[in-house]
Amino acid sequence: MGSLARAYGRPLAALIAAITVVWVLVLVLVPLGAMIEQSLWWRESKGDTSLAIDRLYNDMSTLQLDRSSATDPARQAALDAQIAEKQAQATALEAQEKNPPKVYGFDNFTRISELHLYIFARTILYALMVTLLALVVCYPVAYSVALASGPRKAVILTVALIVPYAINELLRVYAWLMILDYRGVINGVLGWFGLVDLDNRGWIPFLENPSAVFVAMIYTYVLFMVFPMVNTLETLDRNQIEAARDLGASSFRIHRRVIIPHAKPGIAVGCIMTFMLSAGSYSVPQIMTRGQGGDWFSQLVYRQFYESNNWNMGSAYAVSLLVVCTAFILIMMRLFGVGLRDIAK
Amino acid sequence: MRGKDVRLDQVAIRFGGSTAVHPTSLAIEAGEFFSILGPSGCGKTTILRAISGFIEPSEGRVLLGGEDMAGKGPNERPTALIFQNLALFPLMSVAENVAFGLEARGVGRRERLARAEELLDLVALGGFGGKKPADLSGGQRQRVAIARALAVEPSVLLLDEPLSALDLKLRQHMRTELRAIQKRVGITFIYITHDQGEALAMSDRVAVMSRGRIEQVAAADTIYADPATPFVSTFVGEQNVLPGTLVSLAKDEATVDTPVGRVTGRAKGDLAPGAAVLVMVRPERMALDGRRENSLTARLTARHLEGASVNLDFEAKGRRFLVVMPNGPAARDIPDEVTLSFGRTDALVYAEGPLANG
Repeated sequence: MGSLARAYGRPLAALIAAITVVWVLVLVLVPLGAMIEQSLWWRESKGDTSLAIDRLYNDMSTLQLDRSSATDPARQAALDAQIAEKQAQATALEAQEKNPPKVYGFDNFTRISELHLYIFARTILYALMVTLLALVVCYPVAYSVALASGPRKAVILTVALIVPYAINELLRVYAWLMILDYRGVINGVLGWFGLVDLDNRGWIPFLENPSAVFVAMIYTYVLFMVFPMVNTLETLDRNQIEAARDLGASSFRIHRRVIIPHAKPGIAVGCIMTFMLSAGSYSVPQIMTRGQGGDWFSQLVYRQFYESNNWNMGSAYAVSLLVVCTAFILIMMRLFGVGLRDIAK
Repeated sequence: MRGKDVRLDQVAIRFGGSTAVHPTSLAIEAGEFFSILGPSGCGKTTILRAISGFIEPSEGRVLLGGEDMAGKGPNERPTALIFQNLALFPLMSVAENVAFGLEARGVGRRERLARAEELLDLVALGGFGGKKPADLSGGQRQRVAIARALAVEPSVLLLDEPLSALDLKLRQHMRTELRAIQKRVGITFIYITHDQGEALAMSDRVAVMSRGRIEQVAAADTIYADPATPFVSTFVGEQNVLPGTLVSLAKDEATVDTPVGRVTGRAKGDLAPGAAVLVMVRPERMALDGRRENSLTARLTARHLEGASVNLDFEAKGRRFLVVMPNGPAARDIPDEVTLSFGRTDALVYAEGPLANG
């Protein structure tokens, strides 16, 4: 703060500090805090509360009957007191039923069912596969944009990469749905060649396979993988490639020993982004499977919020996904020897 | 390691519409330290890249050890290139850098690292194998690049201005070092530079290039003392240039009318009386007395002490003359008006042509 004030003057330094604080609050602390808080409590609604209320009202009716047949004033007074006491109990229970008490604890996290746990693990695995496939697809693209083509061709390639992103993500996913559908583009072409029999439902059911989701996801997140890689590859001194070739290295060895090690931070950023996006993607699996294929965990989170109307459980699911993904990324970064400092570059 | 001879046979290189190198023939002997000297953009690096295989010549042939290199990539030629920025691999250790060429040839890890250690000893960097290139000084990185290139046992080592990033003292030291390494390994060195000092100090022979053409190929001494063209004459070292008209020619003695009077000098190339010519005299060939054949009266305008020598600026008839003389009593107390003179054999007379400084 002191050095900031010296560099920019007091008012500007204060402004920079304020913007930073607002940024951290609005983008990180408040939404994350709200989600974590939500996940840490639930409302205790005992199933027998309504039974107890019913029993109280029954008791009250009986007492009312006794009261109307009683003639002794002392007895009447005693019965009135009993009824009033029961009424108070019932009112308290009713209030509790209407607005159950908040209970704090980790139950939302521990109550996850075995099936949901399985889906959770499978989602992480699928996201990993999407990331790997995207890496395989994107590396050659990034390499040709950054190193293998002249500036003119690189511009054309970059534009070609960006153009599909002018269309809404949902529409792009729907486009893939149309391509891979039972009577979609691919099956249509195959049918036209007589390879599949569309009239007797002899089409290839692409959409029933998880790889349909993979294809659409890779297509959707390709840029997030390509651009970080292009950015680091562009900083590679081309003389190093020429030097390696001059020393007799094959293309494969040049990639393995010179280009990929240099691109590692970019590859790491691309993989992290693609992994996070695909692990948390809701629309792509929802649209591509049309609810018929295996669920992804993000769909479960959605359902907890909007179908079970259990926001606490939904928050717990979301927080779990976040924590596991973050831990996973940190482990991968450690394994590949990439530090946060490299990524920030 | 054995050096190979390099021959360019009518090599021309064109990029799109522009010609980088006009048809050029050149013969470099095996084991020679050969420099190609020229200003930037003269085509010297293009020639180097054609020899190393990064560029295929548009015309003509490149022969290494008598073998035609057409269609062979840089990894298939017996050459190794040292890049201007060295292009060391920053993420590999020094030893891995040096061993990279052997790794590419499938040599086992233990063997190639042992060989790398030997080469690092050769360039006086024993024990530095575990460091990263970034931990070394400029001169040390230079030597790593040399060791890395030598590891593949090339017959021809190509050097693309590798000393240009070093400071002056280190550059002078590396000149001696490079020459010593070349003597030790005995292979052909082809050295590209725009620095005449480097070319003259290290080379057996020098080729001077200008605008895609080789102007002269000769031993360093000849290049300085007997330059073939006005360009070489002015690019290598300093010259006093006097334009004039050729009056007469007797054998190789030319008489020229110049703004400062009639002078005689040694004719270079074919000249005819009446032609526009340039008379060139080296600054150290000018004397501050009237005792030599050609003399003129000049006025001292500035005196620059260089250390061992003194540069004196004179002016005569609106033209500037530079005289370099050894520092000593005679170089002090120079009168304002003196008679400068130079010998008949110290003046070279060329047909008018392009000069190095425009």
